[in-house]
Amino acid sequence: MTDQSSVDADPDPESTGAGGRDVVVPLRLYKTIVVFSTLIAVVSVVLGFTLLDAATLQVSLVRGLVAGALSAVGLAPAEGALSAALAAAGLSTIALGAGVYTLGTRFRTAGMGNAEDGRSDTSE
Amino acid sequence: MSLKKQDDYDHSAWIKSKDLSPVETVFLTTLVWLDKRLRIVDYLELLETLYYRSNMQMPKSHTEQYDLDNKFWYWYPLYTLGSFSTIAYVVAAVSGALLGFYYSPSTAAGACNISNASVAYCSIAGIMRDLQFGFMLRSIHRWSAQVMVAAVFLHMLRVYFTGAYKEPRELNWLIGIVLISLTMVFGYTGYLLPWDQLAFWAGQIGVEMSLSIPLAGEWVAQLLFGGFTLSQATLQRMYIIHVFLLPFVVTTLIAIHIGIVWVQGIAEPH
Repeated sequence: MTDQSSVDADPDPESTGAGGRDVVVPLRLYKTIVVFSTLIAVVSVVLGFTLLDAATLQVSLVRGLVAGALSAVGLAPAEGALSAALAAAGLSTIALGAGVYTLGTRFRTAGMGNAEDGRSDTSE
Repeated sequence: MSLKKQDDYDHSAWIKSKDLSPVETVFLTTLVWLDKRLRIVDYLELLETLYYRSNMQMPKSHTEQYDLDNKFWYWYPLYTLGSFSTIAYVVAAVSGALLGFYYSPSTAAGACNISNASVAYCSIAGIMRDLQFGFMLRSIHRWSAQVMVAAVFLHMLRVYFTGAYKEPRELNWLIGIVLISLTMVFGYTGYLLPWDQLAFWAGQIGVEMSLSIPLAGEWVAQLLFGGFTLSQATLQRMYIIHVFLLPFVVTTLIAIHIGIVWVQGIAEPH
């Protein structure tokens, strides 16, 4: 009952308010979004820092593996080039994680969020 | 029971019916694809159901019955100090077991080029300088020990000031007093293991404190420190107390302590 009335009270579910775009989704889909976007974000950030570590630490295991894989296919990049590539990969992985998480925050399910916020946005 | 698919679960149809931007469509489709294959949300929902089913069988707590939560909730963080001590203990145990691979409790000199350094001190210097993650490992062990002492003490204050030691929990309070004492013995014996100046003179104070005990003093000093002056025997005893004797005793006591809380329930505030 309360869920239904709060849905009715929100005439435009895909509204763009002060807090950014806001999409109302079914509860089960909302759970999927929360679980997987958080999981992807956490894994991406850890992975990104591992790559940054590989870029800056000569004894890093990941760096060794990458260099070994490259030399196996006959490539021997300069230390500086390898560092730059690893650093770029690390930073973009972290950015990807942040992006996925941020994208996940625009979804909410019925009964969530503050109706007062939406009202004050439209009046201003 | 209907075999018709519930509307909530038909994500793809829902996505099509909505007016979503391309990024959102890709985002949602990817997550739904992952969800259909990995089923993590289903497992979490199972856990959620289990959680609520098991809690429904619990009697109403004192705070619920008399509606005290609005007055009392801000004390609840202090009710985590026992768990916090246990976690610190587990972290110290794991990091300590790893340190044990590299530490050697010997007062013999000349194991490294630090002048007058014992084998014990050299092994710790080696852990911190040569071992990968060794500095971090020793720091984790040290900090978890410090945190455990602080958390155990604050846990005792919480138990005292909420009256949780009262009937029928007298036995657990007594076990707690033994545990806080043994925690400090853990700290003291660990403090002596580097066998540096700090450790040596802390050991000297320990010997003299033991000797100051009336009647039993000399016997206690012999038993704990292996003599009236500090020697190899002292370090070896501190080591065995720290890594063999206390772990068994304290782990058992913690298990009993938590077991009694499990049986009796957490003391309700009044």
